[in-house]
Parts: sequence; C-alpha cells; structure tokens
Amino acid sequence: MPLPPVPSRRSLARRLQAELFASPLDGLISIVLITSSVAAVLGLLHWATRQARWAVIQANSTLFAIGRYPESQQWRLWLLITLLAAAAGLSWGLLRGLPQPDRPAQRWPQNDRLALLLLSAMAVLGPFSLKLSVAIQLRWVLITALLLLLRWAAGRWAQRIPGRWQRWLPLLWPVLYLLGMVLISGGLGLIQVPSSEWGGLLLTLLEASFAILLCFPLGILLALGRRSDLPLLRWGSVLYIEFIRGAPLITLLFLGQNILGFLLPGGLAPERVWRAAWVLTLFAAAYVAEAVRSGLAAVPRGQMEAARSLGLPLPLALIHVVLPQALRVALPATVGQFITLLQDTTLLSLIGLSDLLFVAGTVMANPQYLGHNAEVYLTLAVLFWCCCAALGLGSRALERRLDPNPLPSS
Amino acid sequence: MSIDPRLSKPAGDEAVMIEARGINKWYPNGYQALRGAELTVRRGEVVVIMGPSGSGKSTFLRTFNALEDFQEGSLKVGGLTLSNDLRQIDAIRREVGMVFQQFNLFPHLSVLENLTLAPVLVRGRQRAQVEEQARRLLERVGIGEQADKYPGQLSGGQQQRVAIARSLCMEPEILLFDEPTSALDPEMVREVLEVMQTLAADGMTMVVVTHEVRFARQVADRVVLMAEGQVLEEAPPERFFTNPSHERTRQFLSQIA
Repeated sequence: MPLPPVPSRRSLARRLQAELFASPLDGLISIVLITSSVAAVLGLLHWATRQARWAVIQANSTLFAIGRYPESQQWRLWLLITLLAAAAGLSWGLLRGLPQPDRPAQRWPQNDRLALLLLSAMAVLGPFSLKLSVAIQLRWVLITALLLLLRWAAGRWAQRIPGRWQRWLPLLWPVLYLLGMVLISGGLGLIQVPSSEWGGLLLTLLEASFAILLCFPLGILLALGRRSDLPLLRWGSVLYIEFIRGAPLITLLFLGQNILGFLLPGGLAPERVWRAAWVLTLFAAAYVAEAVRSGLAAVPRGQMEAARSLGLPLPLALIHVVLPQALRVALPATVGQFITLLQDTTLLSLIGLSDLLFVAGTVMANPQYLGHNAEVYLTLAVLFWCCCAALGLGSRALERRLDPNPLPSS
Repeated sequence: MSIDPRLSKPAGDEAVMIEARGINKWYPNGYQALRGAELTVRRGEVVVIMGPSGSGKSTFLRTFNALEDFQEGSLKVGGLTLSNDLRQIDAIRREVGMVFQQFNLFPHLSVLENLTLAPVLVRGRQRAQVEEQARRLLERVGIGEQADKYPGQLSGGQQQRVAIARSLCMEPEILLFDEPTSALDPEMVREVLEVMQTLAADGMTMVVVTHEVRFARQVADRVVLMAEGQVLEEAPPERFFTNPSHERTRQFLSQIA
C-alpha cells in the first residue's frame, strides 16, 4: 500500500510567516487581531482577579447547586452523587478495558490521561475556590477518588466479567436514574421533598435529562408516523409536528401551566415542575422527529426491501436494520436539539420555577450583592457551557463508535 | 462445474413452486406495468427472465415475494396464495430468498451478522448454530475469510456473494435474482455466476432476471421473454436462442447480440 504524501515539515516561524504575514495587508490584519484579542484576554483576567468579587458565588454556591432543598435531606443528594460517580467510574473502566472485537482502535476517551488530570484538578480546586468547608472539600475528593478507583478496578478486571453480565451492565444507568428520582423526591420510606423546593442546577439538570430521555423515543415514533402508509397516523404526526413547531416554547410553557390545571380535575394535574417537564418533552419531540426523519430519508429503500424479503416483520426490520442506520445519520442534529433543550430550560424561570437562572435572579436581587451581575452571569455561562460541551463530546464519541467503516478500506 | 447441471435434475412432474395467472398491475399514476403476466415454476427448475428495459420483468419478479402488489390475477407461491394477509406475506418471504441488483447488504452489520440476523430473529434459532452454518455458507461462496469484515470493505462481487449466502442462510425453497450481475464490474460477473451455477446444480429452484445469455444457455431449464408487461415467449434455452417462435424475441436477441 503506498503511503500518503507526508506534508513537508516547516519550522513554526516559517508557518506563522506564511499563514499570518504573507502580504503587508495580511500582516496588518494579523497584528490588529492579535493585539485586540490579547488585550481582551488581559482585560478579562484583570477583571476576574482584581475587580470581581467572587464572594457572591462563594456564599451562594449551595443555592446555585440545589436551590432551597431542605438541609436535613441533603445527604440524599450526596448519596446520589456518590452513586453516579461510582457508575461513571465503572462504565469508564469498562469502556477502556473491553476492547471492541471488530474495532480495537476505537477506545474512549482517546485522551484518557488528560480527562483524569482535568477531573482530579476540578475535584480539588473547585470546592477550594468556592471556599466550601473542609469537610465538604474532603467529600468531593473522596467521591472523585471512588470514581478513579472503580475505573481502575473495572479496567483491570473487565476481561473476567462473564459475557451475559456485560450485556446487562448498561442497564445500570436507567436503574440509577429511577433511584435518583426517588432519592430526590422521596418515597420508599424517605421523607417527601415537594418539587417546589427543588432548584438551581439540580432542577435544570432534572428537567433537561427528563425531557431528553423521553423526547428521543417520542421523536422516533413521530418520525416513523410521518412516514407511515396509514393516513391517520401520517396526518396525525404531521399535524402535531407542525403545530408544535409553529408555536414559541414560552407560549407552550404558559399554556401548559394554565390549561392543564383547567382541563384535568383537581389533584390530577401534575405538579408545576412536572407540567413544565412534559411541555419541554413534547416540544423537543417535534424537533427530534424532524431530525430523525432526515436520517430515515438517508437510508436507501433497498435496505427495508432486503430486510423484509428475509422475512423480518416490519417492527424488527425497523429496529435492526433501518433505525440503526437512520439514527446514526440523525445523531448530530438530534444532539444539537438536546443542547438547545438544555438551554431552553432557562425559560422555566419566566414561569416561576426556580431553575439556575431564577436562582441567579434572586441572588442578584439580594441588596448584599448588588452590582455583581457580571460574576453571576459568567458563572452561569460557564456552567451551561460545561453541560453542553459534555453532551457534544459524548455525541462525537458515540458517532465514532457507530461508524460502520471505522478502518480505512484496504 | 464441467458437468451440465441439468443432467443431475430429476425430470417429470414436480411440485409447482410458483404459479402466476393473469397478473395485472397498475402504478398509482395509472401506468400499467403488468398485462396478464403468467408463469409456472416447478421445484428444482431454473427459469431465466429476459426482456428489454421497462418490460416489467423486475416488477413481475418482485410480485413473487410481495415487494410489489398487484390488482388483478392470482399468485401461488410455495403452496400459499398471496393475499393481503400480512402474516401470509411474511410466511412466504421466509421461504423465498431474494438477491438484488444493488446487493442491499446491511452496512452497519458485519458480514457474519448480515447472515445470522434473520435466522436468529425470524426462525428463532440458536445463534451459535446459525453462526456455524453461516461460516459454512461463506466458505461455499468462496469468502470464508471475510466473515468479520464489514460490507463496505468488500468488492462488489464479494458483496453479491455475501448477499446470496445471506439468502441461503434462511434455507429458502426458492431464490429470486433481480439482475444480480448488472451492477458489477465485468471481471466480477463470473465469480457471482459461478456461485449461481453451483446452486442450480444442487437443485435450488431459481428465477433469474438477467441479461447474461451464456448463463441462460448453460444453466436455465426455460428462458422467458417479457415485453410490455406480458410473457411473450417461453422455451428451453436451445430453442429460445436459435429458433424462437416470436418475432419480438428475434428482435430482442438481435439487439443484445
């Protein structure tokens, strides 16, 4: 096999010269851009280290994280975080330790050491810079240590886990999700914590994860309905999708808060937090449906014909042949929709739910912290950016994993 | 493959596998694709369907496993009458394999998984047992060493042989071929035709839409000419190619020669 031509290696100075200073005009533009960006970064650093008063974040970090969740029940959230860390460590170790038989090169994450370093640094520096008490700082370090320990153990002994267990291990996550719901809201012998007391990042993530998990299957069903041969199903799906896409989310949220109360007899209407979660779900499902439809359109007709002529009934042909290919095509657009959904949860503050933005509003309204909006908004932006970046990274890793032609064809 | 495959076949009255009578099909736009097409195929027979493009030969073939519906006429396949009953259709499709012009392998599954998918899901057989059979079939079509590759990594000829093996893995009674070599580079046509010839020699009932005259001459029991949605001529290959009774057949043969 002939080797691809190797790009000629040039020194860094040479490359910079060629790319930034090729002509006098280029040079001028480069100098202006470089100076202004350096000035901007320096200005931001100066503000962040000298002028900003981070006390507003440090003093309210619990409020940002969980809102007014009762202090006596916070141990439940700590337990949940510990369990999540354990599951994450286990999955991470397994993903590393179990080589894919057909694509050995596809391990995740690819820059493992960097992720480890980042995680450890965050666990130590995050709580420290928030000036949390030593006990809580220690808790974060211990939880991270547990994650890393399980990752190491799972990676080491992954090969010895029997095959039928391996198949059931991903089920850990849905079970954990349901358990988390119980831990947060109460039940099974735990004191009820009414949903009106959930808030901050906890509420934002809860609403977003609920909507993301449910809108995906719903969107797939709607997309299939829109391509169905049955007129009733097809027109029903079209009507639903076009109605939802024709209305702004905020009107639907208000509609959900008000109408559901009238329509359903007293007590049957879900609590406000869940009403909003359902509206978000139904809203996102319409958009996910369109993304999935584009994926379905990309699968050649012959795939379905081949599956059917092998005797596969329609549902099996969809599940095993058409959808795996369609969803892979639709994945980037779908994850884009999830990211939008996560950011749309900020609209919940407008209907009076204490999500992250709402909590920020109450903090900024506190006379003690007047004039510190920039610190609060910047923190919010960084928090959202982290969540969205995680979604994006996960989606790209999944895309690589699902690639049917991972190796260059020889 | 030097033995004439037809010699090994039992002559006489065998069970009728496909019986199509007076099939009429209109497309939704009003165009009539089939005009009273008729065909009978007996167990172990190899029937080649030829004809100019647009003559309805692919459409006719695709009615045999209900990939195309039709409005008038009657069709019996493997003893079952084709109707709108979905379970009946799935039952027929289990017994009738199809090989497509564009292979239509499942690109997200490995070659082995392409073969085992349907037998495991539809017939409910043990995976290990199906895998063993699949590897044997891949050996038989000459690509045993490619089992763990993905379709995108194979050549066209190899892909089509995988497609044949995939159909065989369901142990069908009948195999339909819809222009199996038309999308292949010339040097790959032979490897696919050789596999089909072996199948015929083993007694598989086959209906083949193709332009390969040599294959029709050597392997077919009967050759059929379709034009304008009808079966115009039906004859043993010798007579079909040397002394056809229909003017239209002569015209067609002069065009492809």
